[in-house]
Order: sequence, then structure tokens, then C-alpha cells
Amino acid sequence: MYRVVSLGLIALLGLAEPAAELTKADERVLSRKSWWSFRPPARPEVPAIKDPWVRTPIDAFILQGLREKGWTPSASLPPRQLIRRLSLDVTGLPPTPAEVAAFVADRSPQAYEHLVDRLLASDAYGERWGQKWLDVVRYADTNGFELDLDRAQAWRYRDYVIRSFNESKPYDQFVKEQIAGDEIWPGNHQARIATGFLRAGPEHLVGGNTDKEMDRQEVLVEMTAAVGGAFLGLTMNCARCHNHKFDPILQADYYQLQAIFAGAKGADVEIVTAAEKAAAEALLKTHEARAKPIKEAIEAIEKPYRAQLKAEKKLLLEPHLRALLDKPKEQRTAAENVLAKNAESQTNSTWDEVVNRIGEPDKSRRIALRRRMHELDRDAPAPVAAAYGVENMEEAPVTHILKVGDHKMKLAPVLPGLPMAFANRLPVPSGVPGRRTALAEWLVSPEHPLTARVMANRIWQARMGAGLVRTMNDFGALGERPTHPALLDWLATEFVTQGWNVKAMDRLILLSSVYRQAGTLDALKMKTDLDNRLYWRAHRRRMDSEMLRDNLLALSGELNRKAGGPAVRVPIEPELYELIFTEAEPDNLWPLPRDVTEFSRRSIYLLNKRTVRLPMMTNFDQPDAMSSCPQRASSTHALQSLSLMNSGFAQDRAKAFAARLTVACGLNEACRVKSAYELALARIPRPAEATLAREFFGQGGKLEEFCLALMNRNEFVYVP
Amino acid sequence: MFPNRRDVLRASAQGFGALALQAMMAKAAGVGAATNPLASKQPHFAGKAKRVIFLFMVGAPGQMDTFDPKPALKKFEGQKLPESFGKVGSQFTDGSTPILSSPWNFKQYGQSGMWVSDLFPHLSQCVDDMCFVRSFQTDSVVHAPAMYHVHSGRILMGFPSLGAWVTYGLGSESENLPAYVVMPQPEGTPEGGTPCWGPGFLPAVHQGTVFRSGANPIMHLKSPVAPDRQRRTLDLLQKMNQMDTEPLDSEMAARISSYELAFKMQTSAPEAVDFSGESAATKSLYGLDEDRTREFGGRCLLARRLIERGVRYIQIYSGGGPVSIQWDAHSHLKKNHEKMAGLTDKPIAGLLRDLKSRGLLEDTLVIWGSEFGRLPMSESGNGRDHNPHGFTMWFAGGGTKGGQAIGQTDDFGLYGVGDRFTMRDFHATILHALGLDQNQLWYLHNGRNEKLTDFGGKVIKQVFG
Repeated sequence: MYRVVSLGLIALLGLAEPAAELTKADERVLSRKSWWSFRPPARPEVPAIKDPWVRTPIDAFILQGLREKGWTPSASLPPRQLIRRLSLDVTGLPPTPAEVAAFVADRSPQAYEHLVDRLLASDAYGERWGQKWLDVVRYADTNGFELDLDRAQAWRYRDYVIRSFNESKPYDQFVKEQIAGDEIWPGNHQARIATGFLRAGPEHLVGGNTDKEMDRQEVLVEMTAAVGGAFLGLTMNCARCHNHKFDPILQADYYQLQAIFAGAKGADVEIVTAAEKAAAEALLKTHEARAKPIKEAIEAIEKPYRAQLKAEKKLLLEPHLRALLDKPKEQRTAAENVLAKNAESQTNSTWDEVVNRIGEPDKSRRIALRRRMHELDRDAPAPVAAAYGVENMEEAPVTHILKVGDHKMKLAPVLPGLPMAFANRLPVPSGVPGRRTALAEWLVSPEHPLTARVMANRIWQARMGAGLVRTMNDFGALGERPTHPALLDWLATEFVTQGWNVKAMDRLILLSSVYRQAGTLDALKMKTDLDNRLYWRAHRRRMDSEMLRDNLLALSGELNRKAGGPAVRVPIEPELYELIFTEAEPDNLWPLPRDVTEFSRRSIYLLNKRTVRLPMMTNFDQPDAMSSCPQRASSTHALQSLSLMNSGFAQDRAKAFAARLTVACGLNEACRVKSAYELALARIPRPAEATLAREFFGQGGKLEEFCLALMNRNEFVYVP
Repeated sequence: MFPNRRDVLRASAQGFGALALQAMMAKAAGVGAATNPLASKQPHFAGKAKRVIFLFMVGAPGQMDTFDPKPALKKFEGQKLPESFGKVGSQFTDGSTPILSSPWNFKQYGQSGMWVSDLFPHLSQCVDDMCFVRSFQTDSVVHAPAMYHVHSGRILMGFPSLGAWVTYGLGSESENLPAYVVMPQPEGTPEGGTPCWGPGFLPAVHQGTVFRSGANPIMHLKSPVAPDRQRRTLDLLQKMNQMDTEPLDSEMAARISSYELAFKMQTSAPEAVDFSGESAATKSLYGLDEDRTREFGGRCLLARRLIERGVRYIQIYSGGGPVSIQWDAHSHLKKNHEKMAGLTDKPIAGLLRDLKSRGLLEDTLVIWGSEFGRLPMSESGNGRDHNPHGFTMWFAGGGTKGGQAIGQTDDFGLYGVGDRFTMRDFHATILHALGLDQNQLWYLHNGRNEKLTDFGGKVIKQVFG
């Protein structure tokens, strides 16, 4: 029994923490708390290495590791590649040729530092970091599962995340807002929006008699998993069915953590003034009034056909059922009423039966009317602004430990609480308010052994391509040990000392010599350290799907840098349209915005629909927003090549890229090639490359084909 | 051993002889897997089955109307389910509706005397090759979660689908075609949508690729320019890529070869969907000469052609989109199942016969099934609601022993009795047929060694005789 109490006791005493009674098996599990990541980080000494390569303490730690092997780091990346790498890493976008030229020409010793500062100050910084954070919290704009309905207001959380990174919001505040923003800062809209974190995961919403308790359990599992993965870097969910097999987490710990959320429920909380609300509602009303006659006209067309079908189906009924339907309701017996209800439903028709029955000219009229209705819907006003977040209930149901995680097999009840293996636990109130606040305060307390380490590791990975702990969401025993434990602890303590300032940590890492290394291969080093665990070179990184799409749009000069706002639908392939599930009439499943420049927005603003993934993005390993993705996979396969060569998107970008070159250079072939290289690769073509291009055009190759080849080139698709 | 720069350049001088390049890459020890993540891999042990065709009946046929005869239902027709069953709720009914007997008669067929309803005049002739398991159960009463369960082992989205696991474990025997092919109903998608064939957290290369009939079977397959122009662009690309590629660089080499595979796929995929070389007799076997069966028959024939060309895993859906084109008979059971069976009976029988006559059935595992079964009680008077407690799926080929029925349901066809099998058992059995050990096939995701069968299923040994 663990802090287990009777329901009566909870009510009577509001007990916070009765004494735990642990079994021997539990004690064995908890004894694993000596695992490195459960001990608070201690500030290590920076290795005293005198070497011009050491620009930052980071370099000293890395160089020490290399020297133990007798190795030296790789050379620094040349300026053109360096600025391209830095721009892609920090902003996700390429440098302009003018920026490249200015950087190359800047001979001052602070040139690089100035560049770093300029990029860190750009709004694109938050968009880039935002994407990474949204991956971690598995953000999407729809619920998932069969209906996969839009979360029309979820985008405010996406914008909140981007803004938080751009404003250098201290990470401890960022954590607190997302877990308990509504409790800690009541009335603050941004803090309320931040709790969208707890609702970011998928949710199964469907009609019929579903098991409400199971559905609720799934919601709580998602919330608990989110906190475990994103902040703790622990696989808390492994303890849902049994004590954790590797980490010092009891099954009771899992349910105590889950109990923290037992009083929270999803809520769309309006964030408008009365006047704004009235204005929004008036617009909606006007829109509905415009749509109403169209809907009525469609219904008027369908009605006689539906009636006709009903009459026919009634004739097919067995005579006694038909007779029953004709019998007045009040004269039927109860049993007859059941039969009549069934008979009635058997005479109903589905939409496709009705539509297939409608003949001309009604058919064409109906199609035209539906088009008008859909056109009108494209101008539908925005709903009354609301935060897609959570709020507290009056009372929380008692949380039970569930045998093998099955809500039908309740074991002992538990109070909300924090995992026992941690030394710095805080008491959690047993009443509803304040439970999540306690969790948040505990996570960001400076003695917490995991929060700062986990985030410092994410920042390192974002810049270096691999975490010091490579299993980013698992600091437990099944995860990997840090390659540089002292460096990790130095970064974690520095992070807290710097006021949990992510941007300051970014700056520190970006200014290091480690970061500036080239990605040179070395057969000898690869033999013993193929995975580059010692950071003897830069990690190879392919652009992720969003970066690739954004860069293609930047290359063609089409990128629309508009920031924020509702999620954007972009045109999709007809083959993909066919795969959208619906049982209804499939004629308006993907309504596009009127403004075509919206199609060229940055990828982070595109509608992320859980069951309808853009094929090119999927091919380039975009995660499915179903579970936390701390680091993108990077696979290479033929379908990737097909989409980057043949898709309408790639072809259109190649054409626009070619048109851009023609605007800049006219018919001057050498100028076009040079300009293409500068835009795509931030450098000028080498003589052999210029020759290759000349030969290609000499054989009749078109400029847009040249552009397409460049867009597919390894050097373009990989970060230098 | 890595290919050196000179080898690579020589290959490029030959106008990118793709095969030469591929062979050279594969020859380099340790580079094979990096070059082609779908390179064919050895199973954990010798399994009879080399490939899978899963025929999925979207919406769920009733087991008591297809392969699990329940004569007792006639006796109880119109009565309530005995109270001993307790409350049996489903998605739309509460268990209070009367028993509905099957509108079809059952007869015994073949040497084995397996029972099949009149819905399947063609399939009933194949029972000696079919192994029925009549007591599967699943965890959800709702289509989409139940579909995720049967496809990926969980009622949630986001886990790798069966085909993804199989290609992860075995790779592919085809270089020029996707390893994992999906053929949905042309009218629409199953409720679970594209996650049914998603890669989950496995790399994107393991996703199912949708194949369609017609000249452009795969999305983005067709080049908008003539082949010689495309080849010229591709040659430019590959020459530029060579300039960037260090001899040590297997990842870049993999990208180079992926373009050659893509180029080859552009001719091999349309070739696969071209039936002009098939005899009239073969086409007729699949029902291509009848309006009713032409569409589904075409997909079954395409499945055979794809496995002949080395595709590892094929998922075919009967049903999707509007309710009228699914097996989901909440009302009008008779009309619905006669329509759906009519579309599929002859083609599936044709597939089994064709595979058998070509010697392909021996090492091809064919599976027929759905997300759950249907209740013995009625809905809307003449339909049935969902039943996750006991339902039938069948196997054929791939080392399974035909002409037998394993497991059973109660007299009403409601619950499995005796040996009951979970989706984990179902998956463990399929992996076993392929020579894959469910516990050795894992992928580290967010700190957990994820497996298709999670904490393990039992292989249904009787399936293999």
C-alpha cells in the first residue's frame, strides 16, 4: 500500500501524505534511485586546457575527450558553409546571397558573433525552435481517429510556443505556464493558451455508446505521458501496468502523477471582451443567414427523392411491419413501438442513395448549390476566440491504481503525488486547485535532477545534431548514458544560472569551436567512433521535411513570411484527397483559403492533420504527431526521390526558381548558374560545375530542369 | 570495404548504369543496409511464408453469416439473449434487441467438410486450403480503434502497422517496387484512415504505399517530362552528387542509389499494373470478365503480380467510404453482405486458386479478416451491431494447414469459448509464419523496446498443423 487511503479519509482529512507501506519488491525498484539522472547535477570544474581552439567551456570538455584518444577536432567550416549552416540551424531558412557576401567580407573578429546575434534575434528563430517543441509535445490541429475533426483554436498554442522562444521566455516559466498556467496566472490569456500543452495529444471522439471511463483514462494517459516525456525525460507510461522494469518508478507513482491531472478537463475558454464576442457572433450570424437559403434550396431538391425512396423501401417491408407503420403511435403496444422504430429506420436512406437517385436538371442544380455553399464557407468568419486548454473541475474523481492499466480492474485508490524516487518532492494538495501548480513548481525547482538536464540536452541536440544523451526522452536505465556526463551537468547548471534562458544557451553553443567544425569524414576515427560520440566532427544532418519545404519556397522566392494565425490548408494531390476518410458526401473535405499566397507559408503554419499527412513531408520523415518525437528520423528511399523530382510541388518550385533566375540574369547562362548556386548552396560554382552546367544546356537541358537537379542535390538537402 | 571514388566515377561515366552502381554499393561490406534500407534480410528462423496478402473486410462481416454456423440462432429467433449472458452493450445497441438468425444456409465443403454459408459459392470450393480461427477477440467496439488494433496491435494511432514491421524485419525482394503495397477500395478509405498502413515511429521507408489501377499507380510516380529529358536531368543530378560524395560516405551513396531505384520504379510499377499479358482464363478466374467482380478481381490479380515481383506485404481493403460500400450492416444485413460478398467471393477464390496453381501459395500467407465481428442480436430489426468478443478470420498458404477450424464461439456466436485468441496472438502467429520471432523484432522508441505484440502473444501453433 502506498499513501493509499480510504475514500472516507480523503474526504474527512484532506490527507496529503499518509505513510507509505512499501513491499520488498517496491523497495528494490526504488533503490534504483541512485541512477545518475536521479541525482541532482553538480557543477563540474571546466577542464583547464590551454588551447586556441577552446573558445568556450564547452570546447574544453569536448577537447578533453578527444585528447584522451590522442585525437584532434576537425577544421573549422569555411565562412560560406558556416553561414549556411548557422542560418539553417537557427532560423530553418537559407541566408540570402547578400548576407553571405557581407559575412564573407566582414573581417572583424566579431563577425561570427554578430551573425549569431542577428540570427538569434530573428523571428524565424522561434519558428525553428517552435517546430522542435511541437514535435516533442506531438502537436496537431486535429483530434485524430476516424472523424479527425479540426481543433479550430489549437493554433494559438503553436503561436504561443513560437512567441515564447522568440521572447527568450525563461524555461521555468514556460514549463509552469504549460502545466498550470490557468492556476498560477488566472485571467492571463497566454497562460491559459499554454495549457494547450495538456491537450496536444490525440483524442478519440466518436458517437455511440463508447466507454466514457476508458475514454477519460486515455485522456489522462496522454497528459501523463506528455509530462513524462517532455519534461522528465522518463518513460512514466511504462509504469502504467506494473512497476517500471528499469527505473525507480512504482506503478503507484504513475497513478499518483496521473491523479494530478484527474481534476483537469479540456475546455475552450473564451479570451475575448464582451464587445469582441458580440462582434464575432454578429459576423457568424450574418454568415449563417447567407448560408441558410442555400441549404434550404438543397434540402428542397432532395426532399421528394428521399420521400420516394422511403415509400419504395416501405413497400419492401414485411406486410405486418408496414401495417405497424400505418398504425397510429398511441395505439401501438410497447413491443410494436420497438418494431415500428426498426421498420422506420429500415426505410431511411443514406446520402449516396439519395444523390444517386436525383435526376437532371435537379442533379446539376444541386451540385451548383453545394458549390455555392462551399464557396460561401470559405469566407466563414472565425469562431469566437478561445483558448484550447484545460480548466479545473469542481471535484476530481478518485484515482485508482489500475491492474495492467485496465480501468475495469481498479486496485487501491491513491492521492495525487510526485514520484517517490525523487529527493526534492513537494506536497501536492489533495483538493483540485493547486495540484498542477505543485507539479510545475517541483519540476522547475533548481534541485530537480532532470528538468534542466533534459532541456539542456534538447538545446545541445538542436544545435549539434545529436544529444549528449542520445535517447532524448529517456534518461532512465534503458536510455543511453551521456557521452559527456560532466559537460551535460555543466550545461544543466549553467542553464539554471542563466535564468533558464534558452537563447543564451543557444548562443553559448553556437559560439563554440565544436559547433563550427566541418563534417569531414575520417576512416581511422570512424573505425572506433562511427557514431561521432566524441564530436570529432560535425554530425551529418539532412534537412527535415519542414526545413526542406521552406527552403524550396525560399529558393524560388515564393516564401510567404507571414507569421501566426489559424492553420493553413495547402493544395493536396487528388490521390491524397481520396484517402480522407468520410462516410458523408466527399465534396468539400479540403477547403482551401482564397489567398493563394497562403500556400507558400512556412510549414509550421500548415494544418497538421493527424490522418492526412502531406506525402512529401511524410516521405522525409515528418512524425505523425501521435507520440512525442524528440529527434527526427532520417531515412533515404525511392519514394523520397520520386516526390522531390516529380511532385507538383517540386516541379512548381523548380519553375519558379528558374523564373527568378531569368528575372535576375535575363538569358545570361553563366549568370543564371552562378546565381542558382548562390541561392541554393551559398557559394559560387566550381569550374567543373560550371562546365557540367554548360554541357547540360548544350544538350538541350532546360533551366527549370537544372533548377530541379540542384534542388535534389545532396549538398542542398543536407545542412553543411 | 567502401567503393572508391574511381569506381563511383567509372559507374557515372557509364551513364549511371544503375545496376552496376547498385551492385558496387551492395558489394561494399557494411554499406548494403545503408544503401538500401529495404535490402532483403534473413528471418530469425526458417519460416514457410515469404510474403503476406491481407484481405481486409472493412466494417466487419458477421461470423455467424459467413464461416461460423450457429443453427441455435434459428431456435431463439426473435427472443432475447438469455440473461446468463449479462449485459452485452455495443456501440449502438444495448443488448436488449432480439436474436436474429442468419439469412443464409451453411453447408459443408471439401474433403475437410468445413462449413461455409451460401454467401461464398466460390470460396467454399477452397476450404481445404483455408484455416479458420473462430475465436478472435479485440479490445474496442468502435471501428477505428479496432482497426488500429488489428493493423498495429494497439487501439491507438501511431504504432507501426503489420506491414511496416514485416518489411522492417525482412526487407523486400523487389528493388523496383515498394516493399509494402496498399490497395484501398476506390470509393473510399477505411475508418482508421492512412494510419492503418502507417510506419508509426519506424522510419518512413516502412510506410505502406498506395497502389492504384491505371497508368499512374503510385503518387508522384509519373515524370511530367519525357523519359529522355528526365534521364538527362537525373544524370546531371547524379554527376553533381558524385562531386559531393566522399568515398567513405555510405549515406550519400544511399541517396544516389535511391534516385536510380526511383527511376526504375517509374517503368516497373506501370508494368506491374498492365494485365495485357494475362490469359483470358486467368482474368476470368479473378472475375475480370464480370461487372460485379472486375474491380476487386483486378486488385487481387495485381496482388499476385506484385508478389511475383518481390513485394513483401500487400494489404487489400474490401470496403471504405460510404456505409453502403462497407460490410458494416447495422441494418439490411442480407442486402449488405450479399453485395459485399458478391464483389469479393470470386476474386478471392480466384486468387487462392491462381496462387496454388503457380506454386505461390506454399510460401505466401493469405489472411482474410476484419476489425471485429457482428452480434447475434439484431439492430434496426434486420441488421447487426459490432461484436469484439468472438469473430472469425482465416489463413491460407504460407505453411498454414488448410481444412481446419480452430477455436469456437458459444451457441450464439457471441463470445469465444475455450481457446480464445487476442490480436497479439494473431500477430505473433503471422510473424511466426514468416520466420520472425515476436520478441526479437523490436525498435527502440522513446526509451522503450517497442514490439508489434507489446508484452507478447502466443503463436497459434495449430494453424500450422
